[in-house]
Amino acid sequence: MAVQTFKLPKSLKEGAKFSFCPGCDHGVAVRILAEVLDELGLTENTITATSIGCSVTIYDFINVDAIEAPHGRALAEATGIKRARPDKCVFTYQGDGDFASIGIGESLHCALRGENITAICINNTTYGMTGGQLGPTTLLGQKTTTSPTGRNVEYYGYPIKIAEHIALCDGTAYSARVSLDTVANIKKAKQAIKKAFEIQMKGLGFTFIEILSTCPTNWKMTPEQAHDRVRNQMMEVFKPGVYKDITAEKTV
Amino acid sequence: MECLQKTKKKVLMKGNYAIANAAVMAGCECYFGYPITPQSEIGEFMSGKMQELKRAYVSAESELAAINMVIGACSTGAKAMTSSSSCAVSLMQEAISYASADELPIVLVSVMRGGPGLGNIYPSQGDYNQAVIGGGNGDYQTIVLAPSTVQECVDLTYKAFYLAHKYKNPTILLADGLLGQMMEPVEFTEYPYPEIDNSSWALSGAKGRNGRIIRSYAPLAENQCVFLNKLYGKYKQIEENETEWEEIDTEDADIVLISFGSPSRNVKSAMKICRKEGLKVGFLRPITLWPFPSKRIAELSKKVKMFLDIEVNMGQMLKDVKLAVNGAVPVEFFNRPVGNPPEVDDIVNKIREIMK
Ligand SMILES: Cc1ncc(C[n+]2csc(CCOP(=O)(O)OP(=O)(O)O)c2C)c(N)n1
Ligand code: SF4
Ligand SMILES: [Mg+2]
Repeated sequence: MAVQTFKLPKSLKEGAKFSFCPGCDHGVAVRILAEVLDELGLTENTITATSIGCSVTIYDFINVDAIEAPHGRALAEATGIKRARPDKCVFTYQGDGDFASIGIGESLHCALRGENITAICINNTTYGMTGGQLGPTTLLGQKTTTSPTGRNVEYYGYPIKIAEHIALCDGTAYSARVSLDTVANIKKAKQAIKKAFEIQMKGLGFTFIEILSTCPTNWKMTPEQAHDRVRNQMMEVFKPGVYKDITAEKTV
Repeated sequence: MECLQKTKKKVLMKGNYAIANAAVMAGCECYFGYPITPQSEIGEFMSGKMQELKRAYVSAESELAAINMVIGACSTGAKAMTSSSSCAVSLMQEAISYASADELPIVLVSVMRGGPGLGNIYPSQGDYNQAVIGGGNGDYQTIVLAPSTVQECVDLTYKAFYLAHKYKNPTILLADGLLGQMMEPVEFTEYPYPEIDNSSWALSGAKGRNGRIIRSYAPLAENQCVFLNKLYGKYKQIEENETEWEEIDTEDADIVLISFGSPSRNVKSAMKICRKEGLKVGFLRPITLWPFPSKRIAELSKKVKMFLDIEVNMGQMLKDVKLAVNGAVPVEFFNRPVGNPPEVDDIVNKIREIMK
């Protein structure tokens, strides 16, 4: 019987060591993204605008041309890249804070303009890089370093459902929410990313994937407990699914 | 508004349109902008012309977005620009710092209006500091070109694209509301500068090579030291090669008038009147505000009795003049805080008064 040996995607840099904390889903997300770039043969034709957050050094891992955008501005820079070089594959990889808090203006308008760009948003319900403060997707009741007794509506208002908002934009061709808590869901996540890039390369509009991810360090959980939290608490509010797909007959 | 391309004869044109047309002729491939008076005509002109020429144009959702779109486009080696004014240029400071660290050839046309805050839409020179010193974080320096006529708006727009790409450095054309709104005869030549080859650094997709990274994140202090020393080496080169100014009748002058931008025209007229009266008055107009003609001013300070700095602000370039003069002789100041330039007669009276 043939044995499948572990193989790194070609789009990952040789010898690159992820700087994410052990058990963090960022690493899984970057890996499946690299696999998709391999499978679609896009690696040598891609430019990414990276974001500020735990993903800031993604350019040290993925072997594509990259520019590091200021916090929240990745989709503005991606727009500049795509408008200047429309034949390139352009993507962003952003945290929930980067995409939906400081960058919400850039994100929504990029979707409304229907830019042929793929945006991936890692939703870990916190500002991971700065030490786990309350962010735009922090759940009601969730304790963070700036919501010491838990998120209450009085002081903090409500978390944003990003994939649903992006689906409402007329320029959006595809918007989905996925998770990485089981092998089956990782496969689904990869399919969604692949679909988004395929739609981008057909020039059909803005494509978006929100990935429910763990932050074991700031959640103060083991990776296993963290995935339980994704399933039991995050998915209650942030329901996985395809919210828009203009290439499909029916969506959620 | 028509794009004129090359003109044989002079045509009458508003400064903002002249800047926009010059940018098109300089080969600007991408324009991104958000409206603000007194420069909105630039974006209006570009919206039609860029689409007609099948170049990139985006009505950005904010100045934050606009300037970051310019950064994105420039990262691919494209000639790209935005234009704005005063309080809105304030929003761009973070991006200018990033573009300086990234060494990207972004071009910003800044047409000054009154400030601080929302201020007003009168002409002003209140953003000398904003352009020359900058409000972004860290050690960086932009190139700043200051036109005084509509024709010079054209010539320096060409030059802004050239210098930005030659030195991979953010470059600002610093005009004012008067220049933006007034009409003067102008001539458009072909873009007079060589095209710069960006292929060694521009992002184009990692075909047959490793991915290129344009970044400012520098986790190790040692690396940042090396980078900043290199960056400041480049700035030194720019200072040596690109400092530009206009100088008249300084040979025998007792006093040298210093002024930049559109107000310098009244200053020049005042100088001529004083000369007729036998007063030994010279004139110096910095064209590059950075690099600033400090060396020349320092030389002059060894022979003249005093300088008179004239600005439409509360005295921003004045500090650079004083630094250059370094206490050798007195530096007098005459200003209007905001609005049209001081009247010629008032300048003449000021000169008579201080030369007594
Ligand atoms: C303009 C600006 N404000 C604040 C910061 C500090 N900062 C860096 S990363 C970050 C939050 C990132 O959170 P998120 O986007 O959710 O990414 P994560 O680290 O959770 O993956 C903040 C606030 C910054 N770098 N720039
Ligand atoms: S802080 Fe959280 S999101 Fe960031 S790398 Fe560590 S576990 Fe992942
Ligand atoms: Mg986050």
